[in-house]
Parts: sequence; structure tokens; C-alpha cells
Amino acid sequence: MTSKNNNKNLVCPFCSLHCDDISVTTDNNSYKVNEKNNVCSKKIDSYNLNNRSITLPKKGSEFVTLSDALKNIHDLIKGHNETLIINHGVDLSGVRSMLNFASQRNCIIDHVNSKFLYQNIGVVQRTGYMATSLTETKNRADTIIVFGNKILDKSPRLLDKVITPKNSLCLKSKKEVLLIGDFSEKIVKDMKDKCNVTNIKFDLNMTNDLLNATLSSDLKNIKGLSKNNLAKIKKIIDKSKYLVATWTTSDFIKTRNPKKIISSISKFIVNHNKLSRAGCMPISGVLADATSTQALTWMTGFPSRIKHIEETFKHDRNAFNSEILIANKNIDVVIHISTINAGKLKINKNVKNIVLGHPNTSFTSMPDIFIPVGIPGIDYEGIMFRTDNVVSVALKGIRSLKLPTTKNILDRLA
Amino acid sequence: MITQLKSGNVYDPHNKVFNLKKDIFIQDGKIINKKNIKFKIDKVINCTDKIVMPGAIDLHTHIGGGKVNIARLMLEEFHNEKDPSYDSSAIIAPSTLKTGLKYIEMGYTTCFEPALLPINARQAHAEMADIPFIDKGGYALLGNDDYFLNLLKNKSSQSTINDYVAFILKATQSIGIKVVNPGGINAFKFNQRALNVDEKSKYYDITPREIVQKLTRALYDLGVPHPLHVHCSNLGIPGNFLSTIETIKAANGLPIHLTHIQFQSYGNNGDKGFSSAAVEISNYLNKIDNLTCDVGQIMFGQTVTMSGDSMSQHRNHKHAHPKKWMCMDIECDAGCGVVPFKYKDKSFVNALQWAIGLEIFLLAEDPWKVFLTTDHPNGAPFTSYPHLIKLLMDKTFRNDILNQLPKDILNHTILHTLNREYTLNEIAIMTRSAPAKILGLKKKGNFSEGSDADITVYDKKINDIEEMFAHPILVIKDGKIAVENGQIKEYIWGKTHTVTPEYDKAIEKDLSKFFDKYHTMKLDNYIISDDEMNRLVGSPVYVNDCLRKRKQ
Ligand code: SF4
Ligand SMILES: [Zn+2]
Repeated sequence: MTSKNNNKNLVCPFCSLHCDDISVTTDNNSYKVNEKNNVCSKKIDSYNLNNRSITLPKKGSEFVTLSDALKNIHDLIKGHNETLIINHGVDLSGVRSMLNFASQRNCIIDHVNSKFLYQNIGVVQRTGYMATSLTETKNRADTIIVFGNKILDKSPRLLDKVITPKNSLCLKSKKEVLLIGDFSEKIVKDMKDKCNVTNIKFDLNMTNDLLNATLSSDLKNIKGLSKNNLAKIKKIIDKSKYLVATWTTSDFIKTRNPKKIISSISKFIVNHNKLSRAGCMPISGVLADATSTQALTWMTGFPSRIKHIEETFKHDRNAFNSEILIANKNIDVVIHISTINAGKLKINKNVKNIVLGHPNTSFTSMPDIFIPVGIPGIDYEGIMFRTDNVVSVALKGIRSLKLPTTKNILDRLA
Repeated sequence: MITQLKSGNVYDPHNKVFNLKKDIFIQDGKIINKKNIKFKIDKVINCTDKIVMPGAIDLHTHIGGGKVNIARLMLEEFHNEKDPSYDSSAIIAPSTLKTGLKYIEMGYTTCFEPALLPINARQAHAEMADIPFIDKGGYALLGNDDYFLNLLKNKSSQSTINDYVAFILKATQSIGIKVVNPGGINAFKFNQRALNVDEKSKYYDITPREIVQKLTRALYDLGVPHPLHVHCSNLGIPGNFLSTIETIKAANGLPIHLTHIQFQSYGNNGDKGFSSAAVEISNYLNKIDNLTCDVGQIMFGQTVTMSGDSMSQHRNHKHAHPKKWMCMDIECDAGCGVVPFKYKDKSFVNALQWAIGLEIFLLAEDPWKVFLTTDHPNGAPFTSYPHLIKLLMDKTFRNDILNQLPKDILNHTILHTLNREYTLNEIAIMTRSAPAKILGLKKKGNFSEGSDADITVYDKKINDIEEMFAHPILVIKDGKIAVENGQIKEYIWGKTHTVTPEYDKAIEKDLSKFFDKYHTMKLDNYIISDDEMNRLVGSPVYVNDCLRKRKQ
């Protein structure tokens, strides 16, 4: 007998939207998303086991038993005094265990996407900030400004679910969507039926000038934008009753001053609220960034880059920056936790590397120790936080490979 | 294992025991009567010259959920406390670990988060699960969510509203329902900047009065012990005592609890347009049986205000100290606003706020109806409770502070004329038995047989009452010694208190359709099961009884 055609609902762990309406068919330990030909289906299906998957622990290129792997990790950590844990994405139970482990072993914890986090929280830590969330945007936003094009690659369903949804509670007419940046013609064309879309190809470095220009009554050409286009934008903004600005920080990271772009958007939104309503809705990274930020903040007061010293967690966003620590060889051992990352893990041979990763993890070079662990939402149940930081989802397990969880391993090591 | 607390001066108001020399016996985490003890006593703790009370209960303290985390994140520069027994997080926005440690060291064993956004419930519970020692629970926010407002707009029956309220209690694992600025948070999303009790919201055409009426009725019909927990309209606005009184009237005599009533008892007399209306409010409190309140006392110093009331918080952001703040519209569910604030003793308004809180305490005739809170951290961090108790129990101490405040407040407060000093009996009532009663926690706040052995023992010989309440010499949680002579003895993990009145499952069908159409998550995922609470969130659930069977 086979368990084929067992239809289940998957709560997707693979980006910060955490869609919970994904129907999959499972067949023993493999699964297939029932929706065909969409970017997300391919992404989700790619975590199925393949002939390169590793389901048993490895020491270098050799397979070892789990207890040998754990013993080896013990030996690696014991001799050294600086251990860094880099989170590349894991559920709440993993973050909780990471903190517990770090407190027993005086480790540093950083998230691989912290650099994006610090660009965004700067506005909350220095000025005023008005935020909104996915469902508010879906139902109340009559106008949405999207800054930068990466956001739609990162969270492919943002468009259908939030920006141009089929249903909306309070809106009678089509949403106005302003795409600022270099969007493909296909995207713009596809959106045309669902909303009034305006694409302004524009250098994001000039965001501040653009937003300031919309406030002035005397319209002038600004670099890269004609007066006509500016007038078009201004009209849309001025008419809006509920305006949402959305972006993903990785779109700004290569600009001259990402912080300035984010604070000018935020300032613009705060200002807009004097007379009308508006909110910011940044989309966080796909590596469970929000889960890490939320849990570490409530457990220590700090969102990332913390170290357990003298019975307490200290925070220093420069001193505990994992990239700098590794580059400067201030670290002996790195424990990478990577349960949902589709990309290649960068293994820096300056240090000893331990990876607790999903079976399909790929590396730039083989780590010293690799322990395959379960994927939250595929192999086991867990909790993750959505991009707007207010909704968290309960992930389900849909296959049973009997892989240990990150929590299992860290708790045994602590 | 049986433990005897021997010869303490026991305060157990629920059982009408006040300062009686008595022994308390504990077996397997519960209180047991002497006559029912069948085994030998394993441990005797001498409590001679000690005051023995049930563990204290905080019925309104912001200890979990998104807004608390925003405050922690926003106020990073304050996380520099040096005490090595804790982490470095600031007491105005403490970590979950520090929250638990500080509460248990003060003898508090049960705490309630009053602003649990249904959509954020999973996070709030997960955070609270990481608070050691204490039992906890939350009040789910309703009355600004679009689903509820649509029910009202479509003139749904009270019975349907009751189903929805009962569903929310179950789905969000809550013990009560709170409404914040009824309808106002929603109206703010449509750019309304104020909403008075009888003013209609522009979009839904509904008044705050109707919302309060429907929700008080629902909780009454369902037999939920805790009445509707109300953060009234017009928070902090001079002259708001009038809308507070209208909110009281909206309950039509059904039980209602007004929270942080200090912030709702402002007059607008005098040349500064700000005065105390504590007398007017207290008259209602003393006159109406079903009305209870907690005070939300302010203390001077730096704190952070956090509230679901995005409309008020957006208005208040001008007063932010330091100059940063955040407001958010949340998921067609509610909102929130976080604004750091410093109460200054030199400020006329802040000094008067301090006096108004104390007036309400001192004018309240029945300590079973008024609860000791600072609306942590909105008025002050919860660690100021011992100081607050001293202000209530020691007239000289109180007046000494009053005399240092701006003199012109004396024209607008009667505090200096109030000679009352709270007794230990009254403090025991308002911090133990009364909150247990108003929340329906039968096994808390008393020493009846079978109750949870949550016990706080104070040293009578400590003369300074603030010091005595700040440092109980023994705190027992679920029968285990958590704190002894100021030292943590054992980490204990509490449970989550809920209440689950019955409802017609048909409401879930309608809600499911609503979620599929308008939300960005499925109803299934929104509901938190007991099993999830236990295994993933990390806090087992304890279901408290309803008062009676559902009426309609
Ligand atoms: S948008 Fe993100 S969460 Fe949704 S299915 Fe795609 S990858 Fe998963
Ligand atoms: Zn409050």
C-alpha cells in the first residue's frame, strides 16, 4: 500500500509571507505542490530529496554516526573560546535553543541578514515611524508605492495576495500601484488588468528628491524624472486615502545610502499621516529574519548580534557582526544553522565550520561537520513570524524522514 | 511531599482571614487542610513574625506581544542595566526572563497581558511562555476588528455576537475580552482623529456606546467571569471624565471593568485646562455594584507607553521622550502605538496625574472593586508596586512627596485632604483576592483547600513597608520554593489561564469564508489549539470555569 495522493496543506516556510494555502500531494517521503508552473511551487518542490541530498551526518567527506558527529562538535567547541552561531533561517524552537546553547557556551549569535535588519530598525530607533501590515494593505490601501523590483522575486505572491488581490473589504475601485525602479514589462503588463499601474523607471538613489518633490506645489524636473511624470505621481499620492510604501532592503543595499532612502520613505509616510492615512510595510528577508528578530528581542532585549558574557547577553552591532568577526579571524568555530536556505552556504576556511542544515544544503566547500536536520514546515511543526512582525504561523510537518530538529541537536550539545 | 508554613500571620481575605496566626499546609503543589493530611509532614517552615499571603496577581500588565517587542527594540539605549543576576534589558521594557525574575522576587505569581491582539495571539503567548515562574493569561482585543464591526453593521443578533466572542476566547486562548477606544482604532484607519461615545464612525456608522453594549452583554450572556475590560474613548484628554461616565452607562448595569482609570478621570477646569475629576469618577465607582477598575498609577521618571490605541498614541507622539515613536495599523484587527515618555515631577500635568491616581485609590470605598496597577509600563514599571503600596499605607510619606510637587496642583486635587491609610487587609484584598475573584480564578488568591500553593511570605520586622513588599523572604509557586531570602531557588514554569464558553460552530464557517476572502492567512492557522500551546508555544493551558451556562 502506498500513501500517495494524500493531500495536505503546507504552511510555507520559504519566505516571510508564510502563505498557508499551499496544497501538496505527498507520496511517502516526497511531496508535490498541486499548483503548477508557479515560481513558488518550483521553489517549494526543490526541497524534496534528490540524489545529492545528505540525510546522514558527515565529518568532512565521510559519513559518521550522529553521536560521533556530536562528539566531534563537542571537541571543536571545547578547545576554543570563541564560537559564533550564524542563523541562516530556522523556526522559533531553533532560535530558543540557539539562545539557550549560547548562554551555556558563551557564544555570539548573528543572523546572516542582520545588515538588512539594521537598515530598517534605524528609523524605529531614531525617529517616528508609521507601519501597516499585509491584511491592512490588502483591504484598505487604495494606493501602493513599491520601491525597487527585487521584492516581487523574493516574495512572489505578494502581488496576488496583497497588492492586487481579488477581494478587498473597503475598496470600491482598483488600487493605484506605483512601481518605482526597473520592473519588467511582463510584470507591468500582467498587473494592468488588476490595478492601475504606473511604472516609473527611476534611480533609487534619488528617492529622497522624488518624495520631497511630491510635497512641493511648484513642480520641477528632477534628475531622471520629467515634470510630467512627477505630476502624475503627485496626483496619485495626493488622491490617496490610505497609502502604503513597501520595499525590501536588499534592493537598497547597493545604493549609496540605504539608510537615507529608508528614512526618507519613512519621513514621507509620517508626514502624509498629518492629513491622510499611510503606513510603511517593508518586506523582510526570506531566511526567517523576522522569527529571529522577534524571539531574540523578547528573550534578551536585542534583535541580533549578541554575545553571552558574564551571565548576561551583551549586544554590539559592530563587534558581533559575523562577517567582520570571520574576516578578522576573531572566531574559532562557526555553527551555521540553515534549515530553509536555498542558496549556497559560504564556508570560510579561516575557521572551523559546523553546519546544521537541511538535507539539500549546498556549500562553497565542505564544512568540518555537517548534520542534516529537518526543515520546519516540511519535516516538523514549528512557529515562524511573518514579515509584518505581527502575524506568526503554525507550520505543519508533511513528511517523516526522521531527521533530528535543530532544537534536538542544540539541546544535546548545550 | 507535605510542607507546613508554621505560625505565620495569615491574610486570606477570600476566607475572611485577616492577620490570624495560622499554619498553612501544602501537598503536591496545592493547599491542603490539616484534617485531610494523611502522610507525615516533610518540611516545616517557621513563619513566626512573618506575614503570609497568597501570591499576588497583576491583572493588567503589558508583558507580551508585538508592542512590547517594539518597545524593547526601540529603546535599545536603555538596555544597560548592570545587575549581574539579570540580563541587561531595561525595566521599562524588560526581557521575558527579567519580567519573570522581577515579578517573582516581589511575590507576584500570576499576571495578565491585557492587550492580546487576536491576530498576534500566538506571538504574545510564545513570549509569555518564555517568562519564568508566573502563571499568565491574556484579554483578547475586540471592538475595532472589521469582522465584528460588520456584524454590528449588519445588525447581527446578540447570539451571533456571543458566538463570535466565545470563538475568539477559544481561538486565541484568552481569559477575557478587552476593548480599546471602542471603534476608534478602526475609525483612525479611515482618518478619523477622535471618536466620542455617541459619535458614529464614518465608515461603519457605529458608535462606541453600541460596541460597549454588545460586548458587555456578550460576556454576561456567556458567563465569562471577567467583565468587559474597557480602555475608554478619549484617553488622556482633559475633560474625558464625561466620556468615561458615558462608557459606564453604556454597560446598562451589566458588569464592566474600566482599566487605567486614572488616565480617564481628567477634568478641564482651571487656567491650564486640566484638573482632577477623581471625585466624579469615584462617585460612580462607589455607587455602581458591577463596576470595577484598575488605576494605572503614574510614577515620575522615564517609561514607555504602549497601547492598542493607535488613535491616541498617534496624537501623543508629540510628547515622545526621547523623540521617537511608532504606530501601526494591524491586520483589520486592531492597532498599536509605542511612545516613550518621561513623567516629570516639575510638570503640572504629570504631578496632577500622580495625584489623580492616588485620589481614586483613596476615595474607593470597597477594595474589592479597585486594583493596584501602574498599567506597566504606561504609568510606571511594575517594579514600583512596593512604592505605590507605601504611598497608600503611609499618609506622611505621601504628603511629603505631594509637598515637593508644583503648588498649583493643590487647586485642582483634594489629595492633601485625604487622610486615609490603606490597611494590610485592604492591600491583601486588592492585590490577591479581588483580582482572583474578578477573573474567576477559583484556585488563586486564597488558601482554600485545593487551591494552587502560590504563597508570599513577608518579614513583619522590616519596618519600611516598601522594603517589606519589595523583598518577600519566601515565595512559593505551585508548592515549590522559587525565592528564599532574595535568592532564586528553582526555575518554575507556569501555565496559561483561559476560559472557554460554548459557541455554535457555525460561526467558524462564516469566519472561514471571511478569512479566505479578506485576510492573508487561513482561519485554521489563526486558531491556536491547546496542543499547540503545549508543544510549540510552550505553555500548557488551564481552563477556568464560566460562572454559569450560556444564556443566549
Ligand atoms: S510567496 Fe513566499 S511564502 Fe508564499 S508560497 Fe511563495 S515562497 Fe512560500
Ligand atoms: Zn494597559
